Amino acid sequence: MDVAPLVLSLLYQFGTGAAFFFLAALGLVVILGMMNIINLAHGELMMIGAYTATITYHAGVPFWLSVILSFFVAAAFGAVLELLIVRRFYGRELGALVVTWGVSLVLGQGALLFFGPFLPSIGIPGGSFSYGDFSFSAYWLILVLISLLLILALWWLYNRTPYGLQAKATMQNAEMAKSLGVRTPQIYTLTFSLGAGLAGLSGALLAPTVTIAPFMGQQFVAPAFITVVVGGAANVIAGAVASSAVLAAVKTPIGMAFGSFSGTVALLFAALIIIRIMPNGISAALQKYFNRRAGGAMR
Amino acid sequence: MTKRKDTTLKPEAETKTQDSAAVAEAATSKGIPRRTFMTGTAATVTAATVLPNLRMARAAETGPIKIGHIEDLSGNLAVYGVQKYHAALLAVKEINEGKTLKGGPVGSGGVGFTSNFAASPPVMGAGDKDLKYVDKGGALSNSGMAFVEDEDVLVDSGESGLLGREVELIAPDGQSNNNIWQQLTRKLILEDKVDCLVAGFTSAEREAIRPIVDQYKQLFFYTNQYEGGVADSNTFCTGAIVEQQVIPVVDYMIQKFGPRVYTIAADYNFGQLTAAWTKAFAPLVGGEIIEEEFVPLSVSDFTTSIARIQAAKPDWVFTLLVGTNQSNYYPQAAAAGLEYPMASTVNMAQGYEHRRFKAPSLNRMYNCVNYIEEIPTARNRAFVKRWYEMFPDDPYIGQMAQNTYFSVHLYAKAARLAGTTDQETVKKALESGLSIEAPEGAVFLEPSTHHCSHYIRLATADANHNVSFVREWPSIQPWWLQRVGVNLVKHKEYKQYIPDEDPFFSMFSKS
Repeated sequence: MDVAPLVLSLLYQFGTGAAFFFLAALGLVVILGMMNIINLAHGELMMIGAYTATITYHAGVPFWLSVILSFFVAAAFGAVLELLIVRRFYGRELGALVVTWGVSLVLGQGALLFFGPFLPSIGIPGGSFSYGDFSFSAYWLILVLISLLLILALWWLYNRTPYGLQAKATMQNAEMAKSLGVRTPQIYTLTFSLGAGLAGLSGALLAPTVTIAPFMGQQFVAPAFITVVVGGAANVIAGAVASSAVLAAVKTPIGMAFGSFSGTVALLFAALIIIRIMPNGISAALQKYFNRRAGGAMR
Repeated sequence: MTKRKDTTLKPEAETKTQDSAAVAEAATSKGIPRRTFMTGTAATVTAATVLPNLRMARAAETGPIKIGHIEDLSGNLAVYGVQKYHAALLAVKEINEGKTLKGGPVGSGGVGFTSNFAASPPVMGAGDKDLKYVDKGGALSNSGMAFVEDEDVLVDSGESGLLGREVELIAPDGQSNNNIWQQLTRKLILEDKVDCLVAGFTSAEREAIRPIVDQYKQLFFYTNQYEGGVADSNTFCTGAIVEQQVIPVVDYMIQKFGPRVYTIAADYNFGQLTAAWTKAFAPLVGGEIIEEEFVPLSVSDFTTSIARIQAAKPDWVFTLLVGTNQSNYYPQAAAAGLEYPMASTVNMAQGYEHRRFKAPSLNRMYNCVNYIEEIPTARNRAFVKRWYEMFPDDPYIGQMAQNTYFSVHLYAKAARLAGTTDQETVKKALESGLSIEAPEGAVFLEPSTHHCSHYIRLATADANHNVSFVREWPSIQPWWLQRVGVNLVKHKEYKQYIPDEDPFFSMFSKS
């Protein structure tokens, strides 16, 4: 076998693997990473996005428009959820965990009752191309690109906009933010709604690659939590990016060499070791490292 | 249409009564004082004559006959569970409306179809002097009745309900969770005291509840297709097994596409054991498993598996993927331009992937099935019509749904034959060589192994996901358990055999 196609295939697998982790974690990055709500309904928010995209797509809406639409539908749903339920559980992590789990059960079973066990799938857009023995899906490459764009957009939102500043202030110290004139209840609603919208967006983006079923969201919950927890809360966006990359870098070569079972085992092991040696996640460790370097430069 | 009057199975105790009478006769003739003998046997005789009456009394108990039914109505496996639940509902409704499927204790085989045959019988020599030559008997021109094809196999049972009682389905949700399956099984047996349990999708679920079933000697129908090997006196496996599905399809695929096989299978007992069967059997028909990959049920991103398949360059891929997550393989492989022919025992006929995924994801998928909704026979069309009249919104009728449907009817047949719902008696009735005319064709419940012979068809999907049939086997026997010497009529057993226990397979492997 030629080496060049194999290397390209490994790079492609790494890229798609990292994009998969990042997209699975996208909404949770905001809701768990920033707001510290253990949102077990994360998968169902992704399901809402995927269902919106699928239903509108089959109603004749172009795919990319239906993806954007699912962001807004999931965000609106998130806002309602925050106002009605989640609001009452700030600062009560375990309460939030149980209530979001309940919400997830209601949503999954509700989707089963309303829409049946399956919706017809969306064909994966874009074709494939091959190089050497391997062939690649164009859509997955587009997903990698979109993931990079989303990273930039999130960074911009939280570092360059008034909302970002107020959100960060609210999450750090709500009382102080309030006394400085930030409308913290609105910020909470907006942030939760953004997280839900992002979950819906990634659900819609991943929809063509998966089965559209009521409990489809559950397949993303474990990878999402692993990605966010490994990434850590010190800088959620950088953390999620770094942990997606690290996890994909562990999973890809081992999966390729020994099969997907070994790949999954290696992934879980890597997560275990990282959390053991960096209890606050990769982002905290990175921040410490950069702080030390910055401190060293000043001296 | 002649109505069959189901004969009542003679209760065992009655035979005993006759036996003891015979012994009494023999004893008196040998000169033992009759009076002494009578006092000695009085107790036995009374017990023997009273017991069947007791049994009849219990059978005449009022209240409905309870069929317990556990399937996954939610979770990763709900797509299959809902179908099976609807199948049970349909069968119970039909029983209560006084219907049954044709069939009875008439043994293997069944009604068939019209066919073409030669104009005259083959003649040795055929007017020629060369006697080694056998004439074909002319062109295949005469069309006639080889067998009868039934318009429909649902006929009147002669009563509404079963044994004069209504049949009730108690069907809790297993939630795709093995622990919940165990709790529900205990509840159905101990609290609801079901007369019959119909349950089980994955082999993991079956193995989770089988010890409980055996503990309480519960009559249990497992209606899924599976890896085979369960020899259990309380369990009746009505789905197709490896020798009926894997062997025919592997044989066909090797002939048609070549010997190099890549197996990608779900990582639990079904996938592992079916892959082991394939590996053991492939050398017998000239094939070779070049690579086996087992995928955890939680995996839903198949990029790496697809690259591995491309690196291995097989002639065809054997996919044994289970559940919602794993069916993502098909669209992902199609999007990545993977175009190998595929074979399976589970996909298409049970998860209707060819209806759910955009064509051509399932192009050149081959599967030996005992049932698929597209079977083009009159009886199946009638069944499909009945189904959609009751469940107009259902997306598909899968293989397991049909199995559950005829299994519930089979239970009713056996109970009617036994004349009671007493579980031990019904189990004996089920071991009497029952055949039933299912929508797929004739199904024979083989008494010694508690498995069914099936009408097997090799179905394939084309680039537009249209299903056609390329081969048919009107009756394939479940022969492997017989080969390893299982006879549940004579010897009770409660285990699952695996291919490693049979030297037959290692004998042929090229290792």
